[in-house]
Amino acid sequence: MENILEVKNLNKQYNDFALQDISFNIPKGMIMGFIGENGAGKTTTIKAILNIIKKYTGEIKIFGLDNRQNSAQINAEIGVVLDDSFFPEIMTPADIAKSMPKIYPTWDSALYQKYLQEFSLPQNKQIKTFSKGMRKKLEIVTAIAHHPKLLILDEPTSGLDPVARREVIDIFQNFIQNEECAILLSSHITTDLEHIADYITFINKGKIILSSSKDDLLNNYGIVKCTEKEFNQFAKTDYLKYVKNKYDYEVLVPNKKEFPKKYPIKVIDKITLDELMIIMIKGEK
Amino acid sequence: MEIIISNDSDIPIYEQIKDQLKTKIISGELVSGELLPSIRSLAKDLRCSVITTKNAYEELVKEGYVKTIPSKGFYVSTVNKELAKEEQLNKIQDLLESAINIAKMNNFSQKVISDMLNILYEEDK
Amino acid sequence: MIGFIIKDLAMIKSNFKLLGLLIIVYLFLGLSGEMDISFILPFMSVMIMISTFSYDSYNKWDAYAVTLPNGRKNSVKAKYLATFIIIILMTVITTLSAFLITYIKTKTLNYPDIILNMLGTAIGILVVEALMYPFIYKFGLEKARIGIFIVVFGIVIFGGFILNYVDIPDISLNFLENYWPIILIVIISLMLYLSYRISLRINLKKEY
Repeated sequence: MENILEVKNLNKQYNDFALQDISFNIPKGMIMGFIGENGAGKTTTIKAILNIIKKYTGEIKIFGLDNRQNSAQINAEIGVVLDDSFFPEIMTPADIAKSMPKIYPTWDSALYQKYLQEFSLPQNKQIKTFSKGMRKKLEIVTAIAHHPKLLILDEPTSGLDPVARREVIDIFQNFIQNEECAILLSSHITTDLEHIADYITFINKGKIILSSSKDDLLNNYGIVKCTEKEFNQFAKTDYLKYVKNKYDYEVLVPNKKEFPKKYPIKVIDKITLDELMIIMIKGEK
Repeated sequence: MEIIISNDSDIPIYEQIKDQLKTKIISGELVSGELLPSIRSLAKDLRCSVITTKNAYEELVKEGYVKTIPSKGFYVSTVNKELAKEEQLNKIQDLLESAINIAKMNNFSQKVISDMLNILYEEDK
Repeated sequence: MIGFIIKDLAMIKSNFKLLGLLIIVYLFLGLSGEMDISFILPFMSVMIMISTFSYDSYNKWDAYAVTLPNGRKNSVKAKYLATFIIIILMTVITTLSAFLITYIKTKTLNYPDIILNMLGTAIGILVVEALMYPFIYKFGLEKARIGIFIVVFGIVIFGGFILNYVDIPDISLNFLENYWPIILIVIISLMLYLSYRISLRINLKKEY
């Protein structure tokens, strides 16, 4: 089993929204960044992977097992942070410490306590007194304390300040030191992913528009900035998308080393995930 | 060991890592037979992805600076320092050639260029 | 499943003070006058358990529970058992208090009356659990409240109608008289089990 998670032709129909043929894989030892606008289908995809929604077509395999038929076995070895769903807020971290060892056979109380201290999360205060950042940290700590093999994290860094984001990302990188593990991490804040993600899967309006190694994307893709006259000379096969601005054209090209050899252009910039996301969504072909 | 990564640079991060390790191997800071950090721990400490460090190591293996022993890790291999230095010299020559090309195209004299070279070289020291 | 029960009981621990206060009020009223509020403790405990559903849904616990091992099943099972445990516990406490009150007031103990009285109360309140939980799992707490109100109201009206206008044949039920507590226990056990199976089925299929 080389892939820890495989999603194949996932389709889910709602009245006003649909997931269409979602497919991607996460190999062992890797961090997959799952990016897209709010409402693009990230959470729905994650809910299908986790069996929170059950009526869909397609195949989802976790640890090589069908996710709907083997959920008990799978759930014991995954750790989850959901966008908006956790223990009731009248509970305390100490309450969680009491119930979780009876839910996960592999729960590591010492590890949980260590992270609570590290993040200065109070034992006996109700979650409702916590700031949004503290809540997220508690959710992350709760998700990793049973030594899962796959972390599925829906927007785990939202609401965190930069310092806390750094702390949390350190935890993820520590987690991935074990090459049998993997992480699926959704975010609309791409800077987190720009550093640590190995792969990027990009979803828009319910469809995957890109799933690739992040280094391939960032090292090879580029943005050409040029005049209309220059743009008109480009063959359609040499670029992916373009945006027409007031003073210039921005053109996304898949190979920033080869492109200048073919066309005499002045400016070709390296790309960030944010720019990639914007130009893929707003751009025309 | 120190490795300094710039996220703003046009040079891909794997290449930055590769170049700096290479320099350390050539200079002797990393000696032959030394165990390098694992790709995972290096990725963690540099806050980059695993694939990035893996790429850097694989390139170093390809170029003969590093050898890999399966399930043990990556080790500095014995490099011919003269050969390695020559390779670096070739690189410098390439870059100087393109500088000279620009100079000739714009009719700058050799003196202007060599002066500039001297000043820059001193500055860097 | 024990983990889920601990979670449900942890949620209501702040209500334990209220229940403690009620015990004192009950003892005080019992000793000072004729007022019998022995139903109040078991009744309050089921109400408190029902309120945990609204905390659960506020933080979308059910979706999270699905991601835990056997979460879809065990969260339902735990809710039934936690409710059952707390009702029985409160019934036992009330029963013991009732013993105490009668003993202090009359220096005698009337076991059968008190036990039957409390058994009736416990069963009545377990019926609330059995009827209400499947509605809550299907429709959520807010809608279930209206649903259960309509059902209970309907039964009362219909029952009243039957008793008023229909002649019930006078079958001799004498042989049942000595066994009715056992029969009631069997019936309520069946009801609870059936109710649990229905809630479980609903939750196994539900999408959050």
